[in-house]
Amino acid sequence: MSLLRVDSVDKSYGDEPVLHDVSFAMDRQNVEVIVGPSGSGKSTLLRCVNRLTEIDGGEIFLDDEEIHSVDENELRRRVGMVFQDFNLFAHLTARGNITLGLREVLGLSKEEANAKADDYLDRVGLADQAESYPAELSGGQQQRVGIARALAMDPELILFDEPTSALDPELIGEVLTVMEDLADGGMTMLCVTHEMGFARSAASTITFLDDGEIVERGPPEQLFEDPEHDRTRTFLGELTDLHQ
Amino acid sequence: MAPGVLQATDWGFILANWDTLALGVAVTVALTATSLTLGFALGFPSGAIEVYGDGWLASTVNTAGVVLRGTPIVVLIVLFFFGLPIPRLGTVPVVDMQLNGFVAATLALGLRSAAYQAQVFRGSIQSISGGQLEAARSVGMTKLQAIRHVVFPQAVRRSLPGFQNEFTIVLKDTSVAIAIGLAELLTRAERLYLQPGRDTAVIEVIITISAIYFVLTFTTNRTLDYVHSRYAIPGGNS
Repeated sequence: MSLLRVDSVDKSYGDEPVLHDVSFAMDRQNVEVIVGPSGSGKSTLLRCVNRLTEIDGGEIFLDDEEIHSVDENELRRRVGMVFQDFNLFAHLTARGNITLGLREVLGLSKEEANAKADDYLDRVGLADQAESYPAELSGGQQQRVGIARALAMDPELILFDEPTSALDPELIGEVLTVMEDLADGGMTMLCVTHEMGFARSAASTITFLDDGEIVERGPPEQLFEDPEHDRTRTFLGELTDLHQ
Repeated sequence: MAPGVLQATDWGFILANWDTLALGVAVTVALTATSLTLGFALGFPSGAIEVYGDGWLASTVNTAGVVLRGTPIVVLIVLFFFGLPIPRLGTVPVVDMQLNGFVAATLALGLRSAAYQAQVFRGSIQSISGGQLEAARSVGMTKLQAIRHVVFPQAVRRSLPGFQNEFTIVLKDTSVAIAIGLAELLTRAERLYLQPGRDTAVIEVIITISAIYFVLTFTTNRTLDYVHSRYAIPGGNS
């Protein structure tokens, strides 16, 4: 049984179609990487999965439950999200960023929440930065806090929305390392990213989205070595060249 | 010295009447406190309603703000004093002040302050990135939880400089209560130099109360500066 099943999803912003008849399914412990040119609907697709954006047509199932039949806050507790711009809570420490959800949503006590937060900060290599505020951290450290914040909620699935696109090149590696560790640990991840190295090494499946439609979908070897469509070859070729 | 040039030589008159001025200060400080409290109690939620609200509530708040900000404070205070059916509440003994005048002044200064404080809070709330709200919602917090725990704590910090401004304005504008004869600092000062048979010490009285207003605004502003830096977010710019 698939953990996530997206079925014939349509979405427009006003008259502007963004997603058209998008369908795919992913299993637990898989890493799905979505690639595509900017404006192709990648981020919108991600946001539809945790209902930050509502779809116009089709259905999305999490664990065989249609996500619109689930309370949206409950859904979002089960589906974590990591943002391009980190979106850390600026007035809270790294630890506070993680404990807020643990306390307010999961109802953990202060001690439990602190212990759990410190555990997850340790996992992303930031045990020594628990008391630091976002503005005191580098971009890479902030994004790792963002990942720890999502992880600590024990989600069934984490959405990554271009998690390294706002980072200086020398800071990308530390975030990708954390993501690769997660993938190795069996976390189910749906990632929008331009990091072809990560896609090649960590993805179970790559989906190429263009103009709101899935052009091609398959394991990394197939998409990189022997894609069915020329558009896929051209796009992935350009991206790979760009990042070498 | 030529006639018409300011002269101030009768400081003994100030010393002899210091208790009158002190009671004026007490009324001025009390009126500032009640007005700012009313202004905050109404202004903070109004700012939030202007950002997050819709329908009749938001438009009511918006219209009330436009009217209050567009009316001179002296007009408001006179209007409330004579126009509102405030019952005769008697006199506060020690400071010798009409309580219903105090209520009218508090309403005028407080409501107008609410209208301005609402704009301060609205701006601060809107300055907090929408991404933080989305991040809070993405861990499963309700919109209310996200606003309360993520937006408000930051917005209140950013409001402090604007609030400080508002504090100074309200404190100084308590002096317009002279229009309804409320026994605050300026009214009492006027009574001192307008005593029948006296025409000296006007400048001394005015200089003295100017200094008192200055000391009050200066010390409070310094205190609020301290609060602002004490609660500033480390590494941040607000």
